Amino acid sequence: MTRELRGTPAAPGVAVAAPWLHRPAVTGAPARLSLFDASAAAVAEISALATLLRDRGREAEAEIMDAQSLMAQDPALHEAADQLVADGTRPADAIVQAGEAVAASFEAIGDEILAARAADVRDVAARIARVMTGVAAPRLERRSVVVAADLPPSVTVELDRALLAGIALEGGSRTSHAAILSRSLGIPAVVGVAGLCDAVPTVMELGIDGDAGIAYLDPDAETAARLAAASAAAGERARADAAFAAGVLATNDGHRVICAANIGEPTEAEAAFAAGAEAIGLFRTEFAFAGRSTAPDEATQAAAYAQVLRAAHGAEVVFRLADIGGDKPIAYLPIEPEANPFLGLRAIRLAARHPELLPTQLHAILRASADVGARASIMAPMVADEEDLALVLRLVEDACAAVPDAAGPRVGIMIEVPSAVLLADRLAPRIDFISIGTNDLTQYLLAADRSNAALAARQDPLHPAVLRAIGQVVEAVRGTTRCTVAVCGEMAGDPAGAQLLVGLGVDELSMEPRAFGAVKRAVGTRSMPDLVALARTAQHMRSAAEVRRAVEAAA
Amino acid sequence: MADAEVDVRNPSGLHARPAATFVRAAAGFAADVTFSNLSRDPSRSASAKSVLGVMGLAVARGHRIRIVANGPDADEAVAHLAELVASGLGEEVDIE
Repeated sequence: MTRELRGTPAAPGVAVAAPWLHRPAVTGAPARLSLFDASAAAVAEISALATLLRDRGREAEAEIMDAQSLMAQDPALHEAADQLVADGTRPADAIVQAGEAVAASFEAIGDEILAARAADVRDVAARIARVMTGVAAPRLERRSVVVAADLPPSVTVELDRALLAGIALEGGSRTSHAAILSRSLGIPAVVGVAGLCDAVPTVMELGIDGDAGIAYLDPDAETAARLAAASAAAGERARADAAFAAGVLATNDGHRVICAANIGEPTEAEAAFAAGAEAIGLFRTEFAFAGRSTAPDEATQAAAYAQVLRAAHGAEVVFRLADIGGDKPIAYLPIEPEANPFLGLRAIRLAARHPELLPTQLHAILRASADVGARASIMAPMVADEEDLALVLRLVEDACAAVPDAAGPRVGIMIEVPSAVLLADRLAPRIDFISIGTNDLTQYLLAADRSNAALAARQDPLHPAVLRAIGQVVEAVRGTTRCTVAVCGEMAGDPAGAQLLVGLGVDELSMEPRAFGAVKRAVGTRSMPDLVALARTAQHMRSAAEVRRAVEAAA
Repeated sequence: MADAEVDVRNPSGLHARPAATFVRAAAGFAADVTFSNLSRDPSRSASAKSVLGVMGLAVARGHRIRIVANGPDADEAVAHLAELVASGLGEEVDIE
């Protein structure tokens, strides 16, 4: 009998294989090597990994291993462990506890980059403990789904890719290290599966569905067959898409559109460009503000922003100013509870209430731009009218005066508020670009709350009203000399949506990198006149469902 | 005892690679070298020979650090390390 455990989807795809449980630190085992010898052996292992990664051209991960190698020899870590041993702790436990204390202190400081290093400290301490107790490095013997509470960075690197069928974690989130790596490697993954580690020791076979976020313990014949069929179909689709992923985003008669990536963390930039992005069309900057007790200062933000500009090597990066509101409360930015946070005091509407927020962020973006020597693009969310735009332009101008060594940025707005659609001809001549946020635009146009599952059918951006709104913005932009128009909502990464958007005449589609192949294939099999006609007809249809059927029938 | 104060100009502060460069250089001296982050918490100090200690002070771009050395080559250690930090620890920085 199949048992299902629900978690969160982390990387798409399906896998069925034997589970392989990764156990983190050894506890209570007797030490066979001294701390000194075990550390030296751990350093040798880590250096070998760094060399392996360099040979494969994965420099960023190799540098993390270099830092781990120094951590393994750290005198402060050794002294703390020796002290614990003197107090009666077993040596292998002592190094794990000493590492945990350092990791916890890193996390307590409230610095994003430092907190990310805490995982490395735990990783190093666990490795020394493992070497000390004479346990061999983790190795997959056969094709496996790797199961763990969380997967430390070095283990993810060490596992044999040929045998790694999937990853299932009891902890973690979509943005944890293992999840990001799985997506970039194309390995199916589910995270946040409660009870998984306790259940797995008695399980012979583990199925995971990385799209639905479900783990199947000992799937029965029917479930296994369904997963195998899904896996085969996904594999076939992925192969067909992959043939297009590296090419340009263009119709079969040569009408080109820029293929850009949406990212939410600086670390995702490199993978986005590797996957074929021509630009970062939407860099959500909320990561810099979330999960902290104090506001991030200019230097902290600038360091994170510079990381993305460096990864771009001169390609455009669109920084969306923080879209913070009552739906995601932030400790140091008190916002009174609101009945309708999506219609509330959010994004640029917070400028008067928190006068430091936007200037600090703008300075940080320009500081990063000056440091890297690359021009930044700045996008303001939730602009509703010319007064909002005037505020944004004034803030950018002030910031440019404060950071004179940065190149003048491209300045644009996100259109998601219906009033901005109606006023697009007044807004477009004053800016460099518009990016249409179709998720919010759809919920505002159709008055259908995105978070209300009962209204899901009313949230399809293929709705004729949304298509007309986009058409109106494109027309306003065509009336200017310099303004361009992009779409950065989920519609851009939906093959049906992408075909309509190209037909409507947008200049750029910005999406999750994993959608590149499917979107390029869908657009690449059509001609521009076909798509223009399709988009025009769709604007006169009765419902989103009718539009979707028409796009699929035309393909 | 010798000491010096110096501003950190590295884009990411003393996080990964620059911290490693600093620690490797400090380990080359016999003197005890400690440093503190004046821009965050001047009362906390760490050994300059510990990469975890250096990273734990969370030195960001624009922060000022104080380097203190005690021992036979203290003067030399402080002069060398202060110069190394000012010059960007092997990273490109804009020197004003």
